[in-house]
Amino acid sequence: MQVIEITDLSKFYGKARGIEHVDLEIGEGEIFGFIGPNGSGKSTTIRILLNMIFPDSGNARIMGLDVIRETKKIKQLVGYVPSDANIYNSMDVHEFLNYCLHFYQGQNDARRITELSEMFELDLKRKIAELSMGNRKKVSIVQSLLHRPKLLILDEPTTGLDPLMQAKFFELLRSENRNGMTIFFSSHILNEVQLLCKRVAIIKEGKIIQLEDIETLRKKQLKKVYIEFGDPVNQENFSIQGLENVITRYGNLLSFMYSGNINELVGLLAEKKIIDVTIEEPSLEEIFMHYYK
Amino acid sequence: MNWNLFIKEMRRNALSLVLWMIAIVLLISLTMSVYRTVIENQTRIMGMMSLVPKGALQFKGISNFNDIFSVLGFYAANNVIYMMVLGSIFAIVLSSNILLKEEYNKTAEYLLTKPLTRSEIFFSKLAVIFLHIFLLNLVAAMAGLICMELVKQGPYNTHAFLILSVYTLLLNLLFGAIGLFMSTLVKRPKPITTFSIGLVLIFYFISTISKITDSISRIGYLSPFNYANTNAINPDYKLGFWHLLYFTGISLILTGISFRLYNRKDIYL
Repeated sequence: MQVIEITDLSKFYGKARGIEHVDLEIGEGEIFGFIGPNGSGKSTTIRILLNMIFPDSGNARIMGLDVIRETKKIKQLVGYVPSDANIYNSMDVHEFLNYCLHFYQGQNDARRITELSEMFELDLKRKIAELSMGNRKKVSIVQSLLHRPKLLILDEPTTGLDPLMQAKFFELLRSENRNGMTIFFSSHILNEVQLLCKRVAIIKEGKIIQLEDIETLRKKQLKKVYIEFGDPVNQENFSIQGLENVITRYGNLLSFMYSGNINELVGLLAEKKIIDVTIEEPSLEEIFMHYYK
Repeated sequence: MNWNLFIKEMRRNALSLVLWMIAIVLLISLTMSVYRTVIENQTRIMGMMSLVPKGALQFKGISNFNDIFSVLGFYAANNVIYMMVLGSIFAIVLSSNILLKEEYNKTAEYLLTKPLTRSEIFFSKLAVIFLHIFLLNLVAAMAGLICMELVKQGPYNTHAFLILSVYTLLLNLLFGAIGLFMSTLVKRPKPITTFSIGLVLIFYFISTISKITDSISRIGYLSPFNYANTNAINPDYKLGFWHLLYFTGISLILTGISFRLYNRKDIYL
Protein backbone atom coordinates (compact mmCIF):
# COMPACT_ATOMS: atom_id res chain seq x y z
CA MET A 1 0.00 0.00 0.00
CA GLN A 2 1.14 3.53 -0.74
CA VAL A 3 1.28 5.57 2.44
CA ILE A 4 1.32 8.90 0.59
CA GLU A 5 -0.17 9.34 -2.89
CA ILE A 6 -0.05 12.82 -4.40
CA THR A 7 -1.56 13.28 -7.86
CA ASP A 8 -1.17 16.39 -9.99
CA LEU A 9 -1.29 18.64 -6.93
CA SER A 10 -1.11 22.40 -7.48
CA LYS A 11 -1.41 25.36 -5.16
CA PHE A 12 -1.05 29.05 -5.89
CA TYR A 13 -1.08 31.90 -3.39
CA GLY A 14 -2.83 34.47 -5.54
CA LYS A 15 -0.44 34.79 -8.45
CA ALA A 16 2.52 33.44 -6.51
CA ARG A 17 3.42 29.82 -7.14
CA GLY A 18 3.25 27.34 -4.30
CA ILE A 19 3.51 23.97 -6.05
CA GLU A 20 2.64 22.90 -9.59
CA HIS A 21 1.55 19.46 -10.79
CA VAL A 22 3.30 17.55 -8.05
CA ASP A 23 3.07 13.75 -8.26
CA LEU A 24 4.55 11.60 -5.54
CA GLU A 25 4.11 8.14 -4.10
CA ILE A 26 5.69 6.92 -0.90
CA GLY A 27 5.46 3.29 0.10
CA GLU A 28 4.90 1.74 3.49
CA GLY A 29 8.03 1.57 5.64
CA GLU A 30 10.05 4.02 3.54
CA ILE A 31 12.23 6.80 4.86
CA PHE A 32 11.69 9.33 2.13
CA GLY A 33 13.69 12.53 1.71
CA PHE A 34 12.10 15.68 0.34
CA ILE A 35 14.80 18.15 -0.61
CA GLY A 36 14.60 21.72 -1.75
CA PRO A 37 15.66 25.21 -0.68
CA ASN A 38 13.39 27.66 1.11
CA GLY A 39 10.37 28.61 -0.98
CA SER A 40 10.62 25.59 -3.27
CA GLY A 41 7.25 24.17 -2.15
CA LYS A 42 8.20 21.66 0.56
CA SER A 43 6.08 23.20 3.31
CA THR A 44 3.19 23.85 0.91
CA THR A 45 3.12 20.15 0.05
CA ILE A 46 3.22 19.16 3.72
CA ARG A 47 0.53 21.66 4.68
CA ILE A 48 -1.79 20.30 2.01
CA LEU A 49 -1.18 16.78 3.30
CA LEU A 50 -2.12 17.97 6.79
CA ASN A 51 -5.15 19.96 5.55
CA MET A 52 -3.84 23.27 6.78
CA ILE A 53 -4.23 24.69 3.29
CA PHE A 54 -6.41 23.53 0.41
CA PRO A 55 -5.06 22.60 -3.04
CA ASP A 56 -6.25 24.44 -6.15
CA SER A 57 -6.24 21.20 -8.13
CA GLY A 58 -5.17 17.59 -7.86
CA ASN A 59 -5.59 15.35 -4.88
CA ALA A 60 -3.64 13.70 -2.11
CA ARG A 61 -4.27 10.61 -0.04
CA ILE A 62 -2.60 9.26 3.07
CA MET A 63 -3.02 5.52 3.68
CA GLY A 64 -5.83 5.56 1.14
CA LEU A 65 -7.70 8.37 2.96
CA ASP A 66 -8.49 11.70 1.33
CA VAL A 67 -6.53 14.52 2.97
CA ILE A 68 -9.49 16.90 2.93
CA ARG A 69 -12.52 14.73 3.65
CA GLU A 70 -10.88 12.25 5.99
CA THR A 71 -8.38 14.48 7.72
CA LYS A 72 -9.42 13.49 11.26
CA LYS A 73 -8.82 9.78 10.59
CA ILE A 74 -5.49 10.63 8.94
CA LYS A 75 -4.28 12.70 11.87
CA GLN A 76 -4.96 9.81 14.23
CA LEU A 77 -2.26 7.96 12.25
CA VAL A 78 0.19 10.78 11.55
CA GLY A 79 2.79 12.57 13.66
CA TYR A 80 4.18 15.94 12.57
CA VAL A 81 7.23 17.95 13.56
CA PRO A 82 6.98 21.52 12.18
CA SER A 83 10.06 23.48 11.20
CA ASP A 84 9.45 26.12 13.89
CA ALA A 85 8.74 24.96 17.41
CA ASN A 86 6.16 27.62 18.34
CA ILE A 87 4.53 26.01 21.35
CA TYR A 88 2.05 27.53 23.83
CA ASN A 89 4.30 29.64 26.06
CA SER A 90 1.91 29.64 28.99
CA MET A 91 2.11 25.85 29.41
CA ASP A 92 4.80 23.72 31.01
CA VAL A 93 6.26 20.80 29.09
CA HIS A 94 4.17 18.14 30.82
CA GLU A 95 0.97 20.11 30.42
CA PHE A 96 1.59 20.55 26.68
CA LEU A 97 2.47 16.89 26.09
CA ASN A 98 -0.53 15.75 28.13
CA TYR A 99 -2.74 18.13 26.13
CA CYS A 100 -1.40 16.67 22.86
CA LEU A 101 -1.78 13.07 24.04
CA HIS A 102 -5.44 13.54 24.97
CA PHE A 103 -6.42 14.32 21.39
CA TYR A 104 -5.71 10.72 20.40
CA GLN A 105 -8.38 8.13 20.96
CA GLY A 106 -7.20 5.18 23.01
CA GLN A 107 -3.86 6.87 23.72
CA ASN A 108 -3.87 7.76 27.38
CA ASP A 109 -0.62 6.08 28.32
CA ALA A 110 1.11 8.82 30.31
CA ARG A 111 4.18 6.56 30.60
CA ARG A 112 4.87 7.32 26.94
CA ILE A 113 5.44 10.98 27.90
CA THR A 114 7.95 9.98 30.57
CA GLU A 115 9.66 7.45 28.31
CA LEU A 116 10.19 9.89 25.42
CA SER A 117 11.04 12.83 27.67
CA GLU A 118 13.75 10.81 29.38
CA MET A 119 15.13 9.78 26.01
CA PHE A 120 15.36 13.45 24.96
CA GLU A 121 16.49 14.62 28.41
CA LEU A 122 13.52 16.96 28.83
CA ASP A 123 12.55 18.51 32.15
CA LEU A 124 8.77 18.09 32.24
CA LYS A 125 8.30 20.79 34.88
CA ARG A 126 9.89 23.58 32.87
CA LYS A 127 7.73 26.30 31.33
CA ILE A 128 7.77 26.27 27.52
CA ALA A 129 8.57 30.01 27.59
CA GLU A 130 11.83 29.27 29.44
CA LEU A 131 13.06 26.65 26.97
CA SER A 132 15.85 27.15 24.45
CA MET A 133 15.18 26.63 20.74
CA GLY A 134 16.78 23.17 20.92
CA ASN A 135 14.65 22.09 23.88
CA ARG A 136 11.49 23.37 22.22
CA LYS A 137 12.41 21.27 19.22
CA LYS A 138 12.77 18.24 21.47
CA VAL A 139 9.29 18.89 22.90
CA SER A 140 8.01 19.17 19.35
CA ILE A 141 9.59 15.83 18.41
CA VAL A 142 8.23 14.13 21.54
CA GLN A 143 4.65 15.33 20.87
CA SER A 144 4.83 13.90 17.35
CA LEU A 145 5.68 10.41 18.65
CA LEU A 146 3.32 10.18 21.64
CA HIS A 147 0.59 8.24 19.81
CA ARG A 148 2.97 5.87 17.97
CA PRO A 149 2.07 7.20 14.50
CA LYS A 150 2.25 5.03 11.37
CA LEU A 151 3.52 8.00 9.34
CA LEU A 152 5.86 10.67 10.67
CA ILE A 153 6.13 13.93 8.71
CA LEU A 154 9.22 15.94 9.57
CA ASP A 155 9.76 19.49 8.32
CA GLU A 156 13.36 20.55 8.96
CA PRO A 157 13.34 18.59 12.22
CA THR A 158 16.95 18.99 13.30
CA THR A 159 17.11 22.79 13.46
CA GLY A 160 18.36 23.70 16.92
CA LEU A 161 19.34 20.17 17.95
CA ASP A 162 22.96 19.61 19.00
CA PRO A 163 24.89 16.88 17.10
CA LEU A 164 24.57 14.34 19.93
CA MET A 165 20.83 14.82 20.17
CA GLN A 166 20.60 14.70 16.37
CA ALA A 167 22.35 11.32 16.38
CA LYS A 168 20.01 10.06 19.11
CA PHE A 169 17.01 11.33 17.16
CA PHE A 170 18.16 9.62 13.97
CA GLU A 171 18.70 6.38 15.86
CA LEU A 172 15.17 6.62 17.22
CA LEU A 173 13.84 7.25 13.71
CA ARG A 174 15.68 4.19 12.36
CA SER A 175 14.33 2.11 15.22
CA GLU A 176 10.74 3.32 14.68
CA ASN A 177 11.18 2.68 10.96
CA ARG A 178 12.29 -0.89 11.65
CA ASN A 179 9.04 -1.25 13.60
CA GLY A 180 7.08 -0.22 10.52
CA MET A 181 6.84 3.58 10.72
CA THR A 182 6.99 5.42 7.40
CA ILE A 183 8.96 8.67 7.53
CA PHE A 184 8.62 11.69 5.25
CA PHE A 185 11.70 13.79 5.87
CA SER A 186 11.70 17.30 4.42
CA SER A 187 14.97 19.19 4.64
CA HIS A 188 17.45 21.39 2.84
CA ILE A 189 20.36 19.80 4.70
CA LEU A 190 21.50 17.09 2.33
CA ASN A 191 23.88 15.31 4.63
CA GLU A 192 21.13 14.38 7.05
CA VAL A 193 18.90 13.20 4.22
CA GLN A 194 21.83 11.16 2.91
CA LEU A 195 22.31 9.62 6.36
CA LEU A 196 18.73 8.58 6.83
CA CYS A 197 16.77 8.29 3.59
CA LYS A 198 16.63 5.57 0.96
CA ARG A 199 14.74 7.54 -1.65
CA VAL A 200 14.56 11.22 -2.34
CA ALA A 201 12.56 13.78 -4.32
CA ILE A 202 14.13 17.08 -5.27
CA ILE A 203 11.68 19.95 -5.54
CA LYS A 204 12.53 23.14 -7.40
CA GLU A 205 10.25 26.13 -7.91
CA GLY A 206 7.21 24.10 -6.96
CA LYS A 207 7.92 21.15 -9.25
CA ILE A 208 9.46 17.77 -8.53
CA ILE A 209 12.54 17.69 -10.76
CA GLN A 210 14.07 14.42 -9.65
CA LEU A 211 12.82 11.33 -7.87
CA GLU A 212 15.45 8.69 -7.21
CA ASP A 213 17.01 6.22 -4.84
CA ILE A 214 19.75 8.10 -3.04
CA GLU A 215 22.40 5.66 -4.28
CA THR A 216 21.19 5.89 -7.89
CA LEU A 217 21.17 9.64 -7.68
CA ARG A 218 24.69 9.61 -6.38
CA LYS A 219 25.93 7.24 -9.07
CA LYS A 220 23.97 8.72 -11.94
CA GLN A 221 26.46 9.92 -14.54
CA LEU A 222 27.47 13.07 -12.69
CA LYS A 223 31.20 12.79 -11.99
CA LYS A 224 33.63 15.08 -10.30
CA VAL A 225 36.84 15.24 -12.38
CA TYR A 226 40.32 16.60 -11.52
CA ILE A 227 42.95 16.73 -14.29
CA GLU A 228 46.60 17.76 -14.08
CA PHE A 229 47.88 18.67 -17.55
CA GLY A 230 51.50 18.53 -18.66
CA ASP A 231 51.17 22.00 -20.19
CA PRO A 232 49.23 25.09 -19.23
CA VAL A 233 45.61 24.58 -20.18
CA ASN A 234 43.17 27.00 -21.71
CA GLN A 235 39.53 26.38 -20.78
CA GLU A 236 38.44 27.35 -24.29
CA ASN A 237 40.53 24.49 -25.75
CA PHE A 238 38.87 22.04 -23.43
CA SER A 239 35.29 22.29 -24.58
CA ILE A 240 32.96 19.33 -24.36
CA GLN A 241 29.23 18.93 -23.75
CA GLY A 242 28.26 18.18 -20.14
CA LEU A 243 30.97 20.26 -18.52
CA GLU A 244 30.06 22.40 -15.52
CA ASN A 245 31.73 24.35 -12.74
CA VAL A 246 35.06 24.44 -14.56
CA ILE A 247 37.86 25.80 -12.37
CA THR A 248 41.48 26.29 -13.48
CA ARG A 249 44.31 26.39 -10.91
CA TYR A 250 48.05 27.03 -11.29
CA GLY A 251 47.62 27.14 -15.06
CA ASN A 252 47.60 23.36 -15.53
CA LEU A 253 45.07 22.03 -13.01
CA LEU A 254 41.47 21.73 -14.11
CA SER A 255 38.49 20.56 -12.06
CA PHE A 256 34.89 20.26 -13.21
CA MET A 257 31.61 18.38 -12.89
CA TYR A 258 30.85 16.16 -15.86
CA SER A 259 27.44 14.79 -16.81
CA GLY A 260 28.16 13.90 -20.48
CA ASN A 261 29.28 10.72 -22.24
CA ILE A 262 32.35 9.35 -20.45
CA ASN A 263 33.82 8.00 -23.75
CA GLU A 264 33.83 11.49 -25.24
CA LEU A 265 35.70 12.76 -22.19
CA VAL A 266 38.27 9.97 -22.40
CA GLY A 267 38.63 10.63 -26.15
CA LEU A 268 39.32 14.31 -25.51
CA LEU A 269 41.78 13.54 -22.71
CA ALA A 270 43.66 11.15 -25.03
CA GLU A 271 44.54 14.10 -27.25
CA LYS A 272 46.15 15.99 -24.35
CA LYS A 273 49.31 15.54 -22.35
CA ILE A 274 48.00 14.38 -18.97
CA ILE A 275 49.97 13.93 -15.75
CA ASP A 276 47.15 12.79 -13.47
CA VAL A 277 43.38 12.22 -13.59
CA THR A 278 41.00 11.70 -10.66
CA ILE A 279 37.35 10.87 -11.28
CA GLU A 280 35.18 10.59 -8.18
CA GLU A 281 31.55 10.47 -7.02
CA PRO A 282 30.23 13.91 -6.16
CA SER A 283 28.70 14.60 -2.77
CA LEU A 284 24.95 14.88 -2.53
CA GLU A 285 25.42 18.61 -2.02
CA GLU A 286 27.14 18.86 -5.39
CA ILE A 287 24.44 16.75 -7.05
CA PHE A 288 21.84 19.00 -5.50
CA MET A 289 23.57 22.13 -6.80
CA HIS A 290 23.76 20.50 -10.22
CA TYR A 291 19.99 20.02 -10.31
CA TYR A 292 19.41 23.54 -9.10
CA LYS A 293 21.42 25.21 -11.84
CA MET B 1 -16.87 19.96 20.04
CA ASN B 2 -13.67 18.70 21.63
CA TRP B 3 -13.48 18.79 25.45
CA ASN B 4 -9.68 18.71 25.57
CA LEU B 5 -9.49 21.86 23.47
CA PHE B 6 -12.44 23.48 25.27
CA ILE B 7 -10.88 23.00 28.71
CA LYS B 8 -7.50 24.25 27.50
CA GLU B 9 -9.08 27.38 26.02
CA MET B 10 -11.11 28.01 29.18
CA ARG B 11 -7.92 27.84 31.22
CA ARG B 12 -5.97 29.92 28.73
CA ASN B 13 -8.48 32.78 28.92
CA ALA B 14 -9.41 32.39 32.60
CA LEU B 15 -7.05 35.04 33.97
CA SER B 16 -8.26 37.62 31.48
CA LEU B 17 -11.89 36.80 32.35
CA VAL B 18 -11.24 37.13 36.09
CA LEU B 19 -9.48 40.49 35.62
CA TRP B 20 -12.38 41.78 33.51
CA MET B 21 -14.86 40.57 36.14
CA ILE B 22 -12.96 42.35 38.92
CA ALA B 23 -12.78 45.56 36.89
CA ILE B 24 -16.48 45.53 36.00
CA VAL B 25 -17.58 44.67 39.57
CA LEU B 26 -15.39 47.48 40.94
CA LEU B 27 -16.79 50.00 38.46
CA ILE B 28 -20.39 49.02 39.19
CA SER B 29 -19.79 49.07 42.97
CA LEU B 30 -18.06 52.43 42.88
CA THR B 31 -20.79 53.96 40.75
CA MET B 32 -23.63 52.55 42.82
CA SER B 33 -21.94 53.68 46.04
CA VAL B 34 -22.70 57.31 45.18
CA TYR B 35 -26.43 56.66 44.61
CA ARG B 36 -27.47 57.63 48.17
CA THR B 37 -25.50 60.86 47.90
CA VAL B 38 -27.33 61.62 44.65
CA ILE B 39 -30.71 61.04 46.34
CA GLU B 40 -29.74 63.20 49.32
CA ASN B 41 -28.82 66.04 46.94
CA GLN B 42 -31.71 65.46 44.53
CA THR B 43 -32.86 69.11 44.40
CA ARG B 44 -29.38 70.52 43.77
CA ILE B 45 -28.64 67.89 41.15
CA MET B 46 -31.96 68.60 39.38
CA GLY B 47 -30.95 72.24 39.24
CA MET B 48 -27.52 71.41 37.84
CA MET B 49 -28.91 68.95 35.30
CA SER B 50 -31.38 71.49 33.96
CA LEU B 51 -28.29 73.37 32.70
CA VAL B 52 -26.96 70.31 30.89
CA PRO B 53 -28.00 70.03 27.20
CA LYS B 54 -30.55 67.29 26.52
CA GLY B 55 -28.19 65.66 24.04
CA ALA B 56 -25.46 65.23 26.64
CA LEU B 57 -27.90 63.45 28.95
CA GLN B 58 -29.01 61.19 26.11
CA PHE B 59 -25.37 60.41 25.57
CA LYS B 60 -25.57 58.68 28.95
CA GLY B 61 -28.89 57.02 28.13
CA ILE B 62 -30.95 59.44 30.30
CA SER B 63 -34.19 60.49 28.66
CA ASN B 64 -35.78 62.04 31.72
CA PHE B 65 -34.21 63.78 34.75
CA ASN B 66 -36.26 61.71 37.15
CA ASP B 67 -34.81 58.53 35.63
CA ILE B 68 -31.62 58.71 37.61
CA PHE B 69 -33.35 59.11 40.98
CA SER B 70 -34.80 55.62 40.86
CA VAL B 71 -32.23 52.99 41.68
CA LEU B 72 -32.85 51.09 38.43
CA GLY B 73 -32.71 54.29 36.37
CA PHE B 74 -29.46 55.25 38.07
CA TYR B 75 -28.03 51.78 37.42
CA ALA B 76 -29.14 51.82 33.77
CA ALA B 77 -27.83 55.33 33.13
CA ASN B 78 -24.45 54.86 34.76
CA ASN B 79 -23.57 51.21 34.41
CA VAL B 80 -24.83 50.60 30.93
CA ILE B 81 -21.62 52.08 29.57
CA TYR B 82 -19.55 49.57 31.53
CA MET B 83 -21.33 46.46 30.48
CA MET B 84 -22.53 47.48 27.05
CA VAL B 85 -19.32 49.15 25.87
CA LEU B 86 -16.68 47.42 27.99
CA GLY B 87 -18.48 44.07 27.79
CA SER B 88 -18.65 44.40 24.00
CA ILE B 89 -14.94 45.26 23.91
CA PHE B 90 -14.23 42.15 26.00
CA ALA B 91 -16.39 40.05 23.66
CA ILE B 92 -14.89 41.31 20.41
CA VAL B 93 -11.28 41.12 21.64
CA LEU B 94 -11.79 37.55 22.85
CA SER B 95 -13.60 36.35 19.74
CA SER B 96 -11.40 38.08 17.19
CA ASN B 97 -8.32 36.49 18.76
CA ILE B 98 -9.42 33.03 19.76
CA LEU B 99 -8.94 31.45 16.32
CA LEU B 100 -6.49 33.98 14.91
CA LYS B 101 -4.10 33.69 17.87
CA GLU B 102 -3.36 30.09 16.87
CA GLU B 103 -2.30 31.43 13.47
CA TYR B 104 -0.18 34.43 14.38
CA ASN B 105 1.45 32.57 17.28
CA LYS B 106 1.93 29.65 14.86
CA THR B 107 0.53 27.16 17.40
CA ALA B 108 -1.96 26.13 14.68
CA GLU B 109 0.81 23.84 13.41
CA TYR B 110 0.14 21.71 16.48
CA LEU B 111 -3.60 22.17 16.82
CA LEU B 112 -4.46 21.56 13.16
CA THR B 113 -2.33 18.44 12.97
CA LYS B 114 -4.16 16.74 15.81
CA PRO B 115 -7.14 14.44 15.07
CA LEU B 116 -9.74 17.18 15.03
CA THR B 117 -11.96 18.55 12.30
CA ARG B 118 -12.11 22.29 11.67
CA SER B 119 -15.74 22.12 12.87
CA GLU B 120 -14.66 20.70 16.22
CA ILE B 121 -12.05 23.44 16.61
CA PHE B 122 -14.58 26.12 15.64
CA PHE B 123 -17.35 24.93 17.97
CA SER B 124 -14.99 24.33 20.90
CA LYS B 125 -13.74 27.90 20.61
CA LEU B 126 -17.26 29.22 20.03
CA ALA B 127 -18.39 27.55 23.25
CA VAL B 128 -15.52 29.28 25.08
CA ILE B 129 -16.55 32.67 23.65
CA PHE B 130 -20.19 32.12 24.63
CA LEU B 131 -19.38 30.90 28.11
CA HIS B 132 -16.91 33.73 28.80
CA ILE B 133 -19.38 36.40 27.67
CA PHE B 134 -22.18 34.75 29.63
CA LEU B 135 -20.08 34.49 32.82
CA LEU B 136 -18.95 38.13 32.59
CA ASN B 137 -22.55 39.24 32.12
CA LEU B 138 -23.74 37.01 34.96
CA VAL B 139 -21.16 38.39 37.39
CA ALA B 140 -21.90 41.98 36.30
CA ALA B 141 -25.65 41.42 36.71
CA MET B 142 -25.14 39.83 40.12
CA ALA B 143 -22.94 42.76 41.18
CA GLY B 144 -25.56 45.21 39.91
CA LEU B 145 -28.35 43.38 41.72
CA ILE B 146 -26.43 43.21 45.01
CA CYS B 147 -25.45 46.89 44.77
CA MET B 148 -29.04 47.94 44.04
CA GLU B 149 -30.29 45.88 46.97
CA LEU B 150 -27.77 47.61 49.24
CA VAL B 151 -28.49 51.19 48.17
CA LYS B 152 -32.17 51.10 47.14
CA GLN B 153 -34.61 53.55 48.78
CA GLY B 154 -37.70 51.64 47.67
CA PRO B 155 -38.78 48.76 45.43
CA TYR B 156 -37.65 48.53 41.82
CA ASN B 157 -38.72 46.43 38.84
CA THR B 158 -36.52 43.30 38.86
CA HIS B 159 -38.16 42.14 35.63
CA ALA B 160 -36.96 45.30 33.91
CA PHE B 161 -33.50 44.73 35.38
CA LEU B 162 -33.51 41.21 33.91
CA ILE B 163 -34.52 42.54 30.48
CA LEU B 164 -31.75 45.16 30.65
CA SER B 165 -29.28 42.38 31.46
CA VAL B 166 -30.56 40.28 28.53
CA TYR B 167 -30.12 43.25 26.16
CA THR B 168 -26.55 43.67 27.43
CA LEU B 169 -25.83 39.96 26.93
CA LEU B 170 -27.32 39.98 23.41
CA LEU B 171 -25.29 43.05 22.45
CA ASN B 172 -22.09 41.49 23.81
CA LEU B 173 -22.81 38.23 21.97
CA LEU B 174 -23.39 40.15 18.75
CA PHE B 175 -19.98 41.79 19.09
CA GLY B 176 -18.58 38.32 19.84
CA ALA B 177 -20.01 37.14 16.51
CA ILE B 178 -18.63 40.23 14.71
CA GLY B 179 -15.13 39.54 16.12
CA LEU B 180 -15.23 35.91 15.09
CA PHE B 181 -16.40 36.85 11.60
CA MET B 182 -13.62 39.44 11.19
CA SER B 183 -10.97 36.94 12.29
CA THR B 184 -12.02 34.44 9.60
CA LEU B 185 -11.62 37.15 6.96
CA VAL B 186 -8.00 37.87 7.89
CA LYS B 187 -5.72 36.30 5.28
CA ARG B 188 -2.28 37.04 6.73
CA PRO B 189 -2.35 36.31 10.46
CA LYS B 190 -1.82 39.32 12.70
CA PRO B 191 -3.66 40.62 15.76
CA ILE B 192 -6.75 42.74 15.02
CA THR B 193 -7.33 43.85 18.62
CA THR B 194 -6.96 47.59 17.98
CA PHE B 195 -9.30 47.45 15.01
CA SER B 196 -11.85 45.44 17.03
CA ILE B 197 -11.87 47.90 19.93
CA GLY B 198 -12.07 50.78 17.46
CA LEU B 199 -15.11 49.19 15.83
CA VAL B 200 -17.02 48.96 19.14
CA LEU B 201 -16.21 52.59 19.95
CA ILE B 202 -17.22 53.74 16.48
CA PHE B 203 -20.57 51.95 16.77
CA TYR B 204 -21.10 53.46 20.22
CA PHE B 205 -20.21 56.90 18.90
CA ILE B 206 -22.62 56.49 15.95
CA SER B 207 -25.40 55.47 18.32
CA THR B 208 -24.88 58.36 20.75
CA ILE B 209 -24.38 61.02 18.09
CA SER B 210 -27.55 59.90 16.32
CA LYS B 211 -29.47 60.47 19.58
CA ILE B 212 -28.01 63.95 20.10
CA THR B 213 -28.61 65.29 16.60
CA ASP B 214 -32.03 64.77 15.08
CA SER B 215 -30.83 65.49 11.52
CA ILE B 216 -28.54 62.44 11.58
CA SER B 217 -30.71 60.22 13.74
CA ARG B 218 -31.00 57.67 10.91
CA ILE B 219 -27.34 56.71 11.01
CA GLY B 220 -28.08 55.29 14.44
CA TYR B 221 -29.69 52.33 12.70
CA LEU B 222 -26.22 51.25 11.62
CA SER B 223 -25.15 50.69 15.20
CA PRO B 224 -26.05 47.61 17.28
CA PHE B 225 -26.11 49.88 20.36
CA ASN B 226 -29.20 51.50 18.89
CA TYR B 227 -31.17 48.27 19.29
CA ALA B 228 -30.24 47.65 22.93
CA ASN B 229 -33.02 49.46 24.76
CA THR B 230 -31.73 50.84 28.08
CA ASN B 231 -34.83 52.78 29.10
CA ALA B 232 -35.49 50.33 31.93
CA ILE B 233 -37.80 52.53 34.00
CA ASN B 234 -40.26 52.99 31.16
CA PRO B 235 -43.47 51.18 32.24
CA ASP B 236 -43.69 49.59 28.77
CA TYR B 237 -40.11 48.35 28.90
CA LYS B 238 -39.86 44.88 27.40
CA LEU B 239 -37.70 42.67 25.23
CA GLY B 240 -38.95 43.66 21.79
CA PHE B 241 -39.45 40.82 19.32
CA TRP B 242 -37.75 42.66 16.47
CA HIS B 243 -34.85 43.63 18.70
CA LEU B 244 -34.48 40.03 19.81
CA LEU B 245 -34.63 38.90 16.19
CA TYR B 246 -32.05 41.54 15.19
CA PHE B 247 -29.50 40.41 17.80
CA THR B 248 -30.00 36.66 17.50
CA GLY B 249 -30.44 36.77 13.71
CA ILE B 250 -27.29 38.77 12.97
CA SER B 251 -25.27 36.83 15.56
CA LEU B 252 -26.34 33.49 14.09
CA ILE B 253 -25.81 34.58 10.48
CA LEU B 254 -22.31 35.94 11.22
CA THR B 255 -21.42 32.80 13.20
CA GLY B 256 -22.71 30.61 10.36
CA ILE B 257 -20.68 32.51 7.75
CA SER B 258 -17.61 32.40 10.02
CA PHE B 259 -18.01 28.63 10.33
CA ARG B 260 -18.13 28.17 6.56
CA LEU B 261 -15.17 30.49 6.01
CA TYR B 262 -13.05 28.82 8.70
CA ASN B 263 -13.82 25.36 7.33
CA ARG B 264 -12.33 26.37 3.96
CA LYS B 265 -9.68 28.79 5.19
CA ASP B 266 -6.04 28.36 4.23
CA ILE B 267 -4.09 28.63 7.46
CA TYR B 268 -0.94 30.55 6.55
CA LEU B 269 1.83 30.49 9.12
